[in-house]
Amino acid sequence: MAAVNVPRYVLQSVVKPARYVGGEWGSVHKDLSADNQVRTRFAFCFPDTYEVGMSNLALQILYDLLNKRQDTWCERCFMPWTDMAEQMRRLGLPLYSLESYTPLRAFDFVGFTLQYELAYTNVLSMLDLGGIPLLSADRKGDDPLVIAGGPVTYNIEPMADFFDLVIIGEGEEVLPELLDLYDANRSLASRNRREFLRLATRIEGVYVPAFYHVSYHPDGTVAAIQPSEPGLPARIRKRIIRDLDRVDFPLAGIVPSTEIIHDRIFLELFRGCPRGCRFCQAGMIYRPVREKSADLLIDQALAIERSTGYDELGLLSLSTSDYSELAKLTDGLLCNLAPRQISLSLPSLRLDSFSLELMEKASKTRKSGLTFAPEAGTQRLRDVINKNITEDDLLAAMRLAFLGGWKGAKLYFMLGLPTETMDDVEGIADLTRKIEALYNELPKSQRPRRLEMTVSTALFVPKPFTPFQWAAQATPQQLDERVRRLRTLLRSRSVKYQWHDTDTSRLEAILARGDRRLGPVILDAWRRGAQFDAWQEHFQMRIWLDALQAAGLDPDFYTVRERSEDEVFPWSHIDIGVSRPYLLSEYRRAQLAQTTPQCRDACSFCGAESFEGGICIGR
Amino acid sequence: MADELSVLADKGREPEKITIIRMCFARSGPPIWLAHLDLMRTFERSIRRAALPIAYTRGFNPRPQLSFALPLGVGLATEDDYVDLTMLEPIDPRSAVDRLNLFLPPGLKVLTAGVVSAKDPSLMSLIQAAEYLLEGHGISTAAKRIAGLPQDRPWLVEKKQKGNMVTVDIRPLLMDMHDESPDRLFIQVKAGSKSNLRPKLFLEALVRLGDFDPLAAADTEITRTKLLIADGFGGLKSPLPRPSAF
Repeated sequence: MAAVNVPRYVLQSVVKPARYVGGEWGSVHKDLSADNQVRTRFAFCFPDTYEVGMSNLALQILYDLLNKRQDTWCERCFMPWTDMAEQMRRLGLPLYSLESYTPLRAFDFVGFTLQYELAYTNVLSMLDLGGIPLLSADRKGDDPLVIAGGPVTYNIEPMADFFDLVIIGEGEEVLPELLDLYDANRSLASRNRREFLRLATRIEGVYVPAFYHVSYHPDGTVAAIQPSEPGLPARIRKRIIRDLDRVDFPLAGIVPSTEIIHDRIFLELFRGCPRGCRFCQAGMIYRPVREKSADLLIDQALAIERSTGYDELGLLSLSTSDYSELAKLTDGLLCNLAPRQISLSLPSLRLDSFSLELMEKASKTRKSGLTFAPEAGTQRLRDVINKNITEDDLLAAMRLAFLGGWKGAKLYFMLGLPTETMDDVEGIADLTRKIEALYNELPKSQRPRRLEMTVSTALFVPKPFTPFQWAAQATPQQLDERVRRLRTLLRSRSVKYQWHDTDTSRLEAILARGDRRLGPVILDAWRRGAQFDAWQEHFQMRIWLDALQAAGLDPDFYTVRERSEDEVFPWSHIDIGVSRPYLLSEYRRAQLAQTTPQCRDACSFCGAESFEGGICIGR
Repeated sequence: MADELSVLADKGREPEKITIIRMCFARSGPPIWLAHLDLMRTFERSIRRAALPIAYTRGFNPRPQLSFALPLGVGLATEDDYVDLTMLEPIDPRSAVDRLNLFLPPGLKVLTAGVVSAKDPSLMSLIQAAEYLLEGHGISTAAKRIAGLPQDRPWLVEKKQKGNMVTVDIRPLLMDMHDESPDRLFIQVKAGSKSNLRPKLFLEALVRLGDFDPLAAADTEITRTKLLIADGFGGLKSPLPRPSAF
């Protein structure tokens, strides 16, 4: 299929045209004529802008991995911003890949990575712009196979109608297995797509939504989820990489020419998190904790720095301070990086003296911002969510920070957590006041001249595969009232308060625990103009409420309804290793404000040990 | 740590060894869509990949010491642009060019380079004029129309200046203009920090005063073909020092 030629005046007229032209250092171009070696064309799609998508590590990992195969060419495709999308529609230009400007519909695979629910309508926009039928059921043999992976695919039910195949879990092994299968059954795939998909279900971690039938009770809850044919697995088990030291990591990634959101080298320290915070989906779905060795990470960092020319390196994990070789790693990085003018960014650190010293050593810019996530304002509520931080920890850390010259910190909290009362909300303000008092009590010579605190509240969204998957979301009225209360209480010259929009969190809650009945709602909302829902300037709750109403669905059913302990969830046929009985016992403990020790202190036999990997081995 | 880093950077910085390499580069293809800051960043990273002995700025946020002659607008190609690189040690300009070319993304290419004196005024302050090739459908006819306007009539166009729209007369900024074919027009214009005519503004004048089709204007390919500095005798010359004849 001919390459798409975007007229010059179009690029001249849109914001940031560099997003649409490719050609970056490290992007892969393959010769299609050379002995016909490239047989499979894979379009890696990220349903958000170039700047967001290029900041995603999964994209870099899988792009590198797929392009190492001689038979495959993996290219990239992002959601064009509205100005570009409009021009493309007007001129009939199809959405194209950034490497060869090939229209999306000419690919063998169109693979989306789904990182958040609010990108769903952008998936539809990209398929539509790419000239691909939106519904899996409408696609024929010469249409691409439209597949998805990423954290939100653990409950992909609301998007089940749109994907031919979904990968549950980490992609580094299962994706090559799928491509091997495709290469060996190429003619079957175009002749009889259904038969090929049937074959693919033999690969562990592959989920074909069309092969499962969902029935509902009259009250709208799921009655059963059953395979529609014999021989299909009753449950689809997620895939993980057991040994991260032995899986490919890109040592020469793509270096964007235009600025992206996270514009630096990423070093992935480990997957999973030992902490077990009860609201956190990532903490459950990525279990068990698997670390990479410090020696390997240091070697990789140096190789990546040489090949990319980046001058900033960021450590990536769910909780940097829990990396068991952190001191060795950071020492090794700092002594190698400092002479080369590279700064180290350190997210997700616990605030203790080690961390503060480390941050001071790591950054070229002297005082990078401190962030701290107590998540809840009272000890009781922190116990409910199993967030193992005390007020004393926080105050001790802030004292160290002030003495070290930091002007303040940004504190992250959630509003609407299960069992939350106004006392807990006021606890956030109390904690902030205690920090102000601590600052005021320090002698002027020992503290920075000004105090600058930021308090940020997100709204709690119950997620599948967490102990709070049974919990109700607080009502919009409750949430608004709590935000208002905090706005009154946090009026201070030295405290800035930032809060999130209620409607966005409400839609996220609907989609996160949604079922297949939401497929037509998403399609309808998209037809009514929903797109870029994660962007405040485009998000319109009205559209979604209208679409839900048209489908006869009540948003409250998904959001503010507490589930009974034996309810069949729309995602019950997905197996993440962590067991439902464990999650339920955690939910019950939460209601009693009982904490559970983290993985390193005591195994709770959550079920992830069945993967026989990482932290679970040797117990 | 920041202090320590500056010390490390300074260690190799022996003033007598500092060498300024002036590179002449071209851009075409996808990189023409980079904004000036993007182009700077791309050069910085390419220089790091090439492991050239570049000096860094001091301060909390050290950056490779690069100085560009004149920002290129988004969408412009160039055949003759310049950047000065401050090197910590003497380096053969030709080998620096060869090395850097291995690490620039496709579409960016260094053509040649020479050593300039560290005592020279900044490259940007030297620039006096630029030449552009404009390729657009029917552009030469429109150019003839505005050239035919009475000599005392100003060529007024609106441009944004510090957030406000102001009307400027661009006629005095045009130094020379000639067409090569109905669709190819060369212009020589004043350029640099004192007075500068951006080619897109010239295209706008063609639309407003020369009846040039706005769509053809938006579709016109613009290539900077020359950047020029004063030669000290009232004329203009290339910013690149000629290899000494002596």
